Amino acid sequence: MALDYLKKATAEGDAEKLIRYVRLHFGDGNEAAGRKEIDKAWIESLKLLLDVPETDRKFILKTLAEKDAATLAHLFFHLHFYFVKRSGEWIHDGEL
Amino acid sequence: MENSNNSQQQRPGLWATVNERYPGSMITKNDFIPLAKLKKPLAESRLTFISTAGVQPKNSMPFDTVHPIGDYTFRRVPSYSKPKDLEIHQLKYPTVGAKRDLNVIFPIERLQELAKEKIIGELAPNFFSFIGYNMDAQKLEETLAEDIAEAVNAEGSDVALLAPA
Repeated sequence: MALDYLKKATAEGDAEKLIRYVRLHFGDGNEAAGRKEIDKAWIESLKLLLDVPETDRKFILKTLAEKDAATLAHLFFHLHFYFVKRSGEWIHDGEL
Repeated sequence: MENSNNSQQQRPGLWATVNERYPGSMITKNDFIPLAKLKKPLAESRLTFISTAGVQPKNSMPFDTVHPIGDYTFRRVPSYSKPKDLEIHQLKYPTVGAKRDLNVIFPIERLQELAKEKIIGELAPNFFSFIGYNMDAQKLEETLAEDIAEAVNAEGSDVALLAPA
């Protein structure tokens, strides 16, 4: 099964297999598109900080300190899709 | 009818290489359970509908479309809902057509019409919906499928119409 494939790659430390999966996941089956999607999320995040707006660092630090790693990982996936969608170049057309 | 191969199809050839893209995701099962035979005519049967379209009532907890391993929950969709009361949370199929007319992916009004015309005896109180992106087939079978089957049985359905998105 697909999950077994990922767990085996994790156990074997096979980062190449895992990153390929992540890119395929974000790119809906297209590895190059997935890589671009990841870059897009980072670029969108960067753009929002260029003018050094005030941000809620207390919230960020509190969240990082208080939430478990799995919740933060889940949040990380949410943030990826949030910023890609915000960029306006959305290869998906569904709702988060 | 509009050509389905127009530019709105955003991911042409998506399924052609699925096993290469998601190794192990295409499952072969050796055990075979035959489809159950109808015990009474359709016109006397209670029908439910089960879909992977990610359709859900507005204001219900959105399906987890971002989780890399999938979402193993389902939503009840009251069978006499109006499309305006429903929404789609799903990233793995293009929803352009479904947003124009939900019935193309989740034919709730067509089933309501068939029940009204007595071609179907009646609709079960609820239809059932989940998202098709699930990386753990065993969990899908042993939890989500079992949970839906239990919910379907609890409503006394005679027929279940299954439709993948």
